[in-house]
Amino acid sequence: MSLVNLDFAEELKEYSGDTALECFNCGTCAAICPLVNDNFPRRMIRYIQVGAREKILENSDELWRCLHCGLCTHTCPREADPGEIILGLKRFVLANWRKS
Amino acid sequence: MSEKNQNVGVYICYCGGNISDHVDVEEVRNRVEKMPGVAVARTEMFMCSDPGQEMIIEDLKSGKIDRVVVASCAPSLHETTFRDAIKRAGSNPFIYEHANIREQVSWVHHGDTATDKASVLIASATAKAKLLKPLEPIRVEAKKHTTIIGGGVAGIKTALDIAQKGIEVTLIEKSPVLGGQLNNLDRLAPFGEKASDILQELLDQILNHKGITIHTDCKIEDVTGYVGNFSLDIVTKPDNNNINKKITIDTGAIVMATGSVSYIPFDGEYGFGRHKEVITLKDLIHILKENKSSGTALEVNGKRIKNMVMIHCVGSRQIPGIHHPKENGQLNEYCSRTCCAAMLNASNQIRANFPETGIYEMYRDIRTYGRGQEELYNQASKNKVVFMRYDADAQPEITLGSSSDYPLLVKIKDSLTFNEQMEVPADLVVLATGIEPDDVSDLASMMKLPIGTDKFLLEVHPKLRPVEFPITGVFLAGTCQAPMDVGEACNAAGAAAVKASALLSKGYIELDPFVAQVDMDKCQGHGACVEACLKEGALELTEVNIEGKIHKKARVTAAMCLGCGACAAVCPEKAIDINGWALKQYEDMVDAIVSDGFAA
Repeated sequence: MSLVNLDFAEELKEYSGDTALECFNCGTCAAICPLVNDNFPRRMIRYIQVGAREKILENSDELWRCLHCGLCTHTCPREADPGEIILGLKRFVLANWRKS
Repeated sequence: MSEKNQNVGVYICYCGGNISDHVDVEEVRNRVEKMPGVAVARTEMFMCSDPGQEMIIEDLKSGKIDRVVVASCAPSLHETTFRDAIKRAGSNPFIYEHANIREQVSWVHHGDTATDKASVLIASATAKAKLLKPLEPIRVEAKKHTTIIGGGVAGIKTALDIAQKGIEVTLIEKSPVLGGQLNNLDRLAPFGEKASDILQELLDQILNHKGITIHTDCKIEDVTGYVGNFSLDIVTKPDNNNINKKITIDTGAIVMATGSVSYIPFDGEYGFGRHKEVITLKDLIHILKENKSSGTALEVNGKRIKNMVMIHCVGSRQIPGIHHPKENGQLNEYCSRTCCAAMLNASNQIRANFPETGIYEMYRDIRTYGRGQEELYNQASKNKVVFMRYDADAQPEITLGSSSDYPLLVKIKDSLTFNEQMEVPADLVVLATGIEPDDVSDLASMMKLPIGTDKFLLEVHPKLRPVEFPITGVFLAGTCQAPMDVGEACNAAGAAAVKASALLSKGYIELDPFVAQVDMDKCQGHGACVEACLKEGALELTEVNIEGKIHKKARVTAAMCLGCGACAAVCPEKAIDINGWALKQYEDMVDAIVSDGFAA
């Protein structure tokens, strides 16, 4: 169970662009990603969309597996720019790590 | 007319292989040729083609034949084609009989058995054809007047379209105002016209139309009669002097446009009735319509809404075993069709005008099926509406929230977040309540109109005869039939108007002559037929003066007779029979089927 944080989008602006809401959950990014992680980076983008702030912090180690190859950004049909979002999330996690 | 003199022409179709791949058509022809009464037997690749029809016309004109049997596809497809061909040859179209050797033979049997069954069916049709009499269509005088029941958008549009054709119209509405559900709507999806503008335009037209009489605030007491000659008794609500006015309307056709109501959630459904923050889509539209203020956030009851949750499919697409049936056991298993676009439309309005009001839409499926509707979804995505998806068997739950900012907490297993459980704080929950037909069961049973299992009125055929009832002269339009948006209701209204106008345009109506006929010499006035008759008013006992003596005799009102034959089955004197389907014809058909000679 995770409580949605309605102010998360606002909080995230400091660290990342706000393209996550462009995503319509097609999964192309997860399919093209050379990592074998389950639904990466799609799940992270979904967490941003719904405001699942704690889930991102809980699963933040996934972010550091990213190779930043850029394939997801290249193939995204909605120009949601997943690669840039992952970078932004790293900045967010660094700033909030073990704060709560 | 002696049956010995009948010369039957039998025309057997290959149907381009559809029949001839399984039935040895030439062998059938050889057998048929030898059957008693058959003057000619011919085959053709497509009997419905021009050369096929010409063949029949020529044989009739040259006098070789005076009865026609075509063995081909189902009569629903081409019976009228061949009747028309016979008419063109100058003969009576009712000297025709059809043998279905495609659907009932070649599509279901193969080889010798198929050839044998085709032969038997043709033998039976030929036996019947020999006893066919020329018949005349029943001609009924029709009053050039239509009555529309229901003054919503479908009713108003039907009335206007019919009146435009110069046919008088009476519009009956049970409530005090015209407009129906349009009165409850604001901006219409998907293009955003104002419902009140559309209604005003229609009212301006209908209130000024001299050919249209309007009765509001009234109730229908009785409906009698038949196509061209219906009669409606209506009663108005008591006026200031406490007097109910009774009015009788004589009319040629009736259009049911009785409309729909909005589903009302049961107590506790998604917290409805328990938390004041849970409202219906209808309530939300009302709020948006009345809202004159602009601000950064939508205000409801003086409270700024920071985050609203909108739940789709409430009272629609209900599943037995999962959803809560009504007291009468009714479940609305259909999709209400209009709510997805209406919800997205409302979301877009809110996000555009009140950017600080966040929206979560929780859906089972988004069904933006029509022109311009998918754009609403795209727009909502652009407007940063968050979509979450639930399965039918895991509906969102509404509980009390822990903070005063957000009095409610909506729990959802979100399949877009990989089925994780989410909790969304909310200060407003909107339920996308669907469409339910207005309850017109009394009227429907009075008029013997069919109602579907979903409680909507049921047309003859959803595709081929979508605005007609099986009762000739009664039509339907709008949301009494199925969930429709305003545009679709107007489409249906236009179709019903054209059907009604075409029916009444000539001032008389021709009906199929396959109805009961009484042999006055044989009838002894037992009255068994009247008791057996299924259609009130079709058969009655009358007193006839024959050579100074009063006799009771049965009398058929041909326009009302259904041609079912219940009367023929019970008459002890065999004094009543059905034209075109006489008992003797059945007997001869059965004899032909059981006789050995025809199959092989």
